[in-house]
Amino acid sequence: MSLSNNNEKMSIGRFISETVASPTRIPFVVVIAVILIFQLMNPTFLSYQGLVTLVYSMSYFLIAACGLTFVVMMGSFDFSSISVMKFSALLCVLYIDDFGLWIIPITLLCCAIIGFVSGFLVAKLGVPSFMATLGISIVVDGISLLMSKGFLHLMEHEGFRSISTTFIAGIPSVFHWSIAIWVLCAVLAATTPFGRRTYAIGGNARAAVLSGINLDSQRIQVFMLSGLLAGAAGVFYMSQLGGGSVEIGGQMMIPLFASVVAGGTSLRGGTGGPQNTLLGVIIITWIQSGLRMMGTGMETQMVILGLIAIGMSIATTDRNKFRRVIVK
Amino acid sequence: MTERTLTPILDVRNVCKSFGKVYALEDVSLKIFPSEIVGVVGENGAGKTTLMKSLVGIHVPEKGEWYDKGVKAAFPKDPKDAAKKGISIVYQERGVVPSLQVYQFLFLGNEEKYVGAFGLQIPRMKKAAQEIIDEFHIKCDIEDFMFELPLSTQKMVEIARAVVNIRLEQNKQDADSVIILDEPTAPLNIEERHELLNEIVRLKANCSFVFVTHIMQEVMEYMDRVIVLRDGRQVGEYDMATNKVTENELVRMILGKDIDGQEKIQRIPSRVDNSETVLSSKELSKRGSYYNISFDLSKGECLGVLGSAGSGKSELIETIAGINGYDEGDLLIRGKSTKNHELPYARLKKGVGYFSGEIANELFYDWPITKNISILNIEKIVTKIFHFLNFKTEKTLAADISKQLRIKTPNVNITVSSLSGGNKQKVTVGKWLEKKPDILLLEDPTIGIDVGAREDIYETILNMKEQGISMILVSDDPKEYSALCDRVLMMQQGKAQKIISKEELKEVLQT
Repeated sequence: MSLSNNNEKMSIGRFISETVASPTRIPFVVVIAVILIFQLMNPTFLSYQGLVTLVYSMSYFLIAACGLTFVVMMGSFDFSSISVMKFSALLCVLYIDDFGLWIIPITLLCCAIIGFVSGFLVAKLGVPSFMATLGISIVVDGISLLMSKGFLHLMEHEGFRSISTTFIAGIPSVFHWSIAIWVLCAVLAATTPFGRRTYAIGGNARAAVLSGINLDSQRIQVFMLSGLLAGAAGVFYMSQLGGGSVEIGGQMMIPLFASVVAGGTSLRGGTGGPQNTLLGVIIITWIQSGLRMMGTGMETQMVILGLIAIGMSIATTDRNKFRRVIVK
Repeated sequence: MTERTLTPILDVRNVCKSFGKVYALEDVSLKIFPSEIVGVVGENGAGKTTLMKSLVGIHVPEKGEWYDKGVKAAFPKDPKDAAKKGISIVYQERGVVPSLQVYQFLFLGNEEKYVGAFGLQIPRMKKAAQEIIDEFHIKCDIEDFMFELPLSTQKMVEIARAVVNIRLEQNKQDADSVIILDEPTAPLNIEERHELLNEIVRLKANCSFVFVTHIMQEVMEYMDRVIVLRDGRQVGEYDMATNKVTENELVRMILGKDIDGQEKIQRIPSRVDNSETVLSSKELSKRGSYYNISFDLSKGECLGVLGSAGSGKSELIETIAGINGYDEGDLLIRGKSTKNHELPYARLKKGVGYFSGEIANELFYDWPITKNISILNIEKIVTKIFHFLNFKTEKTLAADISKQLRIKTPNVNITVSSLSGGNKQKVTVGKWLEKKPDILLLEDPTIGIDVGAREDIYETILNMKEQGISMILVSDDPKEYSALCDRVLMMQQGKAQKIISKEELKEVLQT
């Protein structure tokens, strides 16, 4: 009896040590832990109503995170995602009366152009992506404020709202949209020359150049994709919530980065991918919603999310590689 | 000199070290006497690095004895402990902190020895540094920044730092020291190489050296003794003064077989088609680098650009590759003028590829062989519709290449970082072999790899040439020119001296 018990302990011990050693397994384990912990603390977490809340909170976030993942894979940063998302949401609500549903392609185009500007600054003018996109985010925030004058605007166009809020198979359609976009992104990253080139630049930019990759054009394209997807996230956000002001999305940029990193896309570039980002998004947004469902205050949420962001980057960093660099 | 009768400074016997089931070192013994330079040679993976790391406490061997003046002692636990025992290592690269001044760098990590009541005693540090610079005859000022110094001087400062480290650790000015140099000359050009080696020979008065190298000429000219490792075993030891060993014997000992490569290479015919000019440079100039360079490159020809560092040869080849631009003149590819500041991807579309032996510029370390080869040949592995990647084609492609080039690997999904140096280099050659550009620019194609793998790579390059690929070669190894080139352009201080034939080159190299 004691022997078998001992064996079991051994295998659990081995499971833990293997999990810690392989960063790819950690996100799965954390997702399960998050579900278990919140379910224990709050039995309505996995109820139908709870699930709908979780789905709403993660869907638009997943779309923006997929876009950001491409930039991070390439070894760059995009700090403008949330600002672009906000801008896109406000553009929709302010001009839907003038353009009807045509506002959607117009908005997406505008957001892709913002991405193009970031990419141009990074690729052609050599501005570090950190600075370029941070600058762009402030500019875009200013424009959003100018457009909305700080008021709360309500979306009254039923057709627009139904994009996200139609229930299909018991789940709001925004989930189906976001999963479809996620699959497209994963396919783009893993099975196309575009994806391969993005990984290449993140892995070894000089080798990428000597392998005949047009570095500038590829970088601009990736920033445009990030802008486009951030814009799409804004469209879905507005159609799901039905209103918003310049305040939306407040402190979301860091959780967005955290979800990309938590999935296993290293900020050093060249690894991970959108396929991993789904789990990261689930971890970050479900913790956030779980806390909110239990009525945890905003300040506590911020502390916990910040710690989770740091914890997940510790957990998903391949430290063997790091050590190798130091020792030799 | 009568060192042989002295007690050795370093005396290790029967060192064994294994990684998993593989023996990296098996019964290797090493004695270092005062004032000598001992070369350690062997193929990549022969156990040189493992031996060095065992001596400085990075690896701890499973078996083996360490004798300290005849008394049995323990192996060092870590590099600090090794310094206490009088051994320190200078790594091949990344050893220098470029932003520090010489005196700061010399005492880096030992600052606590110079702390007074009011913080660091800078004047005392500077005085001590000046004494060391004088003792080692290093041509620099103690307030120079490390990045300002030539590479060979940087290496000298690193060596001095290793000695300082030992002295401070033992708290003795005249401590016996053994400095391990891991391929110190690899990043240097020919002149710097000789300068460094001459300095090291002079330093024998102060300390002994263990010298890991791939360059046989260095062993022949500068070492006192040489130890040959093969597959983790010590297969030979030669005293260079008494035991006249030839370079060929040494190479045979390293490889464990005769090199047939030389002959095989000479049998590959050169098919230069002088009627077809693929690239011509007309009065090409780049201020500060090279001036009025003109030449024509024929189909299937290999043109070498020979010159010392600063002759502008590297800048010239980089201009042709599209890495940097030119100021005046014209560069024609297949008779068509090119735009200045065209980037490498644009040149590659016109059929000009650039292959550098610096694998850090060529490889994606975390990627498997398959991806490393296909990244350059992406158009060959996409599906007809939608241009998705076809993973099956990708794998066949990589498998073909690794079979052709005899890359030693269980399969092609292995990440390249786990391959040995020679095999890594073969992967980089492999992707160009598949690409088949019209013109291939080679810069130091075999830098840092061992003799055996080098012959294989020459063979591949010459086979590509035979198929009609034109080449331009720039190298720091004169032998590379006679092995690969049909004609050689001699450059000096940015100016083209003359173009000579292969036969004339042989005479130039002999004198």
